[in-house]
Amino acid sequence: MEKAEAELQQSGFSLSSLKIERGSLSVALVCMVLGFMLAVQFRSAQDIKSLPANQRIEDLTLRVKQLSSENQQLKEKLSALASSDDGHSASIYDGLMLASGQTAVKGPGVIVTLDDSKKMVKNDDPNLYLIHDEDMLKVINELRAAGAEAISINGQRLTGNSEIRCAGPTISVNNVRSAPPFEIRAIGSSRDLLAAINMRGGVADTLKVWGITVNAQESKEILIPAYKAANPFKYAEAANEEGT
Amino acid sequence: MVLAVIGLILGLILGIMVPWSIPLAYSKLFSIALLASLDSVFGGVRAALDDVFDDKSFIFGFFSNSLLAAFLVYVGDNLSIDLYYVALLAFGMRIFRNLGRIRRFLVKKT
Repeated sequence: MEKAEAELQQSGFSLSSLKIERGSLSVALVCMVLGFMLAVQFRSAQDIKSLPANQRIEDLTLRVKQLSSENQQLKEKLSALASSDDGHSASIYDGLMLASGQTAVKGPGVIVTLDDSKKMVKNDDPNLYLIHDEDMLKVINELRAAGAEAISINGQRLTGNSEIRCAGPTISVNNVRSAPPFEIRAIGSSRDLLAAINMRGGVADTLKVWGITVNAQESKEILIPAYKAANPFKYAEAANEEGT
Repeated sequence: MVLAVIGLILGLILGIMVPWSIPLAYSKLFSIALLASLDSVFGGVRAALDDVFDDKSFIFGFFSNSLLAAFLVYVGDNLSIDLYYVALLAFGMRIFRNLGRIRRFLVKKT
């Protein structure tokens, strides 16, 4: 101990005074390994930071923040407009909102679940066993014919402007893609809607030939979300004169 | 102990020169191994100051500590027990405790 103290005083603080002379080569080796690990870890951390996925997450978080604050502002504006008028225009407004799909709605109806076929015949066109936009359109058409008042596909509210379109292996509704299983919610008379789907020789029977599962269940209370885009009308504006 | 410093610098240069980096999946294990080895080194310095330095146990501790720490974190990951944070806390506290003792020693003696 005294020796160490003496050495320390002699040389200030230097590692050589620490009595590690014995086997110093192996200690040097350990230090080398440590340095190597440090440098590699440093570079790895640098790499991870510049990973495109990480940058994308940051971008997306920013956009979500911006959009949700914009959303909040618009909602405030909307409620201000709605409350600034008398009861008459408010009821017209409510009706319009309901018709245009701008509010979430609830009521009795059916939930139809469509999923791709589990069976697959060898050497046959696999396309036949998948759900296509046409199948979806047939189901929607059948539901509308049976008096469905509000419909959503995988959470996307169908409005007058909604498309149902093939998008590769997915189906795009309101320009939002979703993959099977598709959950179609429809509000209306659940008896009529069920009958429309399960009609003999109807849409469910046709799809079942290919093994596509069509499962319709009635429900006392279904919640259908609002159409989420801010304003779908960019080009069209109201014209006062009657169209010919 | 110039050798140790030379070794450290050599290792740093080697690490910068080597083209590969740790894949994302193993970065957690590697960082814990690094922390464990840092802990060993600070423990070694502290032991040297306390005059109880033993190079065999130092070297053995260095490798076994880091490998064991990485292994434990790996096992914990597979059992969905997040031992990563436990190791982080334990090693972090030990490093700071050792640093504190080294600092006290230096202040007292010089």
